[in-house]
Amino acid sequence: MSAATPAPPAAAPAARPAPDRKGNRPRRRGSRSGRVALYLTLSVLLLVFVAPMVWAVSGSFKPRGDIFEYPPNLIPSPATLENFGNLLSGQPFWRWFAISVTTALLATAVAVFVCALAGFAFAKYRFAGKRVLFSVMFSSLSVPFAVILVPLFVLVVKSGLSNPWFALIVPWVAPAFGIFMMQQYIIQSIPDEILEAARIDGASEFGIFLRVVLPLLRPPLGALAVWQFLQSYNSFLWPLVLISDTDSYTLPLGLNILFRAENRSFDLVLPGAVLASVPTILVFLLLRKQLLEGLSAGAVKG
Amino acid sequence: MTPPPAGREGRRRQLAPYAFIAPFYVLYGLFMIVPIAAGVYLSMTEWVGLGTPEFVGLDNFANLARDTSFHKALGNSLIFVLISLLVVVPAALLIAQALNTRGLRARDLFRVTFFIPMVLSPIVIALVYSLLLDRDYGLVNSVLRALFGTGTTDWLGDPTLAKVSVGFVLLWRWVGYLTIFFLAALQAVPRERYEAAEIDGAGPWRTFTAVTLPGIRPVTAFVVVTSFIGASQLFDEPFLITGGGPGEETLTVAMFVYRAAFDRQQFGYAAAAGVVLFVVVFAISQLLNRLLSIGRTS
Repeated sequence: MSAATPAPPAAAPAARPAPDRKGNRPRRRGSRSGRVALYLTLSVLLLVFVAPMVWAVSGSFKPRGDIFEYPPNLIPSPATLENFGNLLSGQPFWRWFAISVTTALLATAVAVFVCALAGFAFAKYRFAGKRVLFSVMFSSLSVPFAVILVPLFVLVVKSGLSNPWFALIVPWVAPAFGIFMMQQYIIQSIPDEILEAARIDGASEFGIFLRVVLPLLRPPLGALAVWQFLQSYNSFLWPLVLISDTDSYTLPLGLNILFRAENRSFDLVLPGAVLASVPTILVFLLLRKQLLEGLSAGAVKG
Repeated sequence: MTPPPAGREGRRRQLAPYAFIAPFYVLYGLFMIVPIAAGVYLSMTEWVGLGTPEFVGLDNFANLARDTSFHKALGNSLIFVLISLLVVVPAALLIAQALNTRGLRARDLFRVTFFIPMVLSPIVIALVYSLLLDRDYGLVNSVLRALFGTGTTDWLGDPTLAKVSVGFVLLWRWVGYLTIFFLAALQAVPRERYEAAEIDGAGPWRTFTAVTLPGIRPVTAFVVVTSFIGASQLFDEPFLITGGGPGEETLTVAMFVYRAAFDRQQFGYAAAAGVVLFVVVFAISQLLNRLLSIGRTS
C-alpha cells in the first residue's frame, strides 16, 4: 500500500448500495448494537488513555494541598499559576529545556542527513559489497542499547569527548532504521529516469542527491526527523550515566531530581512534566500525518 | 539502474555510493562496532573504571551464572518480553481491528490519541503513574476506596502487582504505536479476499485466521521483533516507577548492567552482563527474522 491510500476509498462507496453483502469484517455485522458496543469500548479506552494526562495537567494548576484531593476536580478551583512560577524561578528549568531541545535538534539534523544519503546509495546504486553492508546495517537494529552503554560511556569519557553537547547526541546520529525507511521510500517513489535526466544535464552524483533527491524526500524526512527528535529529547538512560553536573542536566534528568527530592515536590514536578511535554505534543500534532504514515509505510512495504 | 559508462565519469559514479554510505559507517563503526568490541574485551576484565583493566578471562561469566540477582533480572526481563508479546501486541491488533471497521467515525481522533503516550517522556509517564498508583494517596486507591471500600492495594510494593503495574504502563505507552502498524497493514489487505471468504461462508474467526492474519504477516513479524527487542532492554519505566523493587521484583537486565557499572563501579562485570544480553537478544531476533522472514528484499 502506498502512504497516500488510507481509509476514504473503503468508506465512501460502500455505505448504501448493498449494505449486507459488504459486511466482510466481523465487527460490522452486529449492526446497530455492535456499533454501539464498538464506540463504547473505544471511548472507554480513550478515557483510560487520556485520564492520566488530564489529571496531571489539572494537578499542575492546583495548590500543593489539592493535588491529591478526592474526588479529583478536573477544573482546578482555585486554579493557580504559582506552581509554574515557583518552578521557573527556583529551578534552572529553562537551561535544562534549552539543552534538551538543542541536543535533540543537533542529533536530528545529523541523523536525517546521514540516513538520506545512505538510503539513496542503497536504493539507487549497484556496488560491490552492497548486500553485506546492508545486512550489517540492518542487523544493528537488534543490538540493545544496554549492551553498548558501558563501553560507550568509557569511550566517550576516556577520549575526552564527554562535553555534553557532543556526547548527548552520539547514540542518535546513525539510526539504521532511518536508512531502511529512506531506502524503501526512494525505491518506491523516485524513478531512475529523473536521475538519468539530471546526469545527462551534467549534474554530479552528489549534486543529484542535493538538488533532485533531497527535495523529493520531504515526507519520509519529516517522519524521521520527528521520530529522532522524540527519541533524543525523551532519552533518559544515556544522559543519566553521562551527566553528573546539575547545570548540564537535560530536562528528564532535572525532572527526575525534583521527583526524587526529599519532600517529593509534586507541585514543581507536575508543571515541569506538563511544560516538558508541550514541545513533543506540539511537534507530533503538527506533523502527525507525516509521522504516522512514514512509520507505517516502511513496515508495510518492507 | 543503467550500468555506469566507462571512463572518468563512470569511475566517479562507481565511487559515489561508497562516499554516500561512508558517513553512516564511520559513525556506526565509532559508536556501535567499537563499543561492542570494547564491551567484549571489558567483559573479560576486572575493572573499577580507574587504572588498567585486569584480564580475568571468563570469570565474570562464571560469576554471572551464579549471581541470583542476574537470574532474577533475566527472569523479569523475560516476563516483560512476554507481557509485550502476549498482551501488548495482541491488544494493538484488536484496537487496530476495531479502528479498521468500515465507516468508523473519528478514526483519526482515536489513532492520534492512542499514540500520544508514545511522544511523552518516560519520566513524565513514570511520575504521573507513581502518583496515581501511590498506596496512600494515589488516585487509583482513592477510587477503589470510594467504590469498594478496599483502597489499600500496594500497586508498586507488592511483588506481583509491581510487575503488573509496570506491565500496564508498558501497554499504555506502546499500544498506540503498534496499532499504527497494524492499522496500516489491515487497510492494505485486498477487499476481494474478504469478499471471497464471505462467499465461501467463512465465519468471523475463520476469516480472521484465513484472510486477515496471512495478509498482515510481514507487519506482524516487524511488530513482534521490534517489541521483543524493545522489551528485552527495558530500563526507563521500572527504574523510574519502582526503582527495580520491591526487592528485585522489577529489576531488568538493563538495570542490572546500570547498577553494576554506575552504582558499584564493576565495569567488567557490567560489560559481561551486557554481552550475555547481546548474545541472547541478537540470536533470538535473528531467529525471529528468519522464521518470520523479515528484511528479505522483496
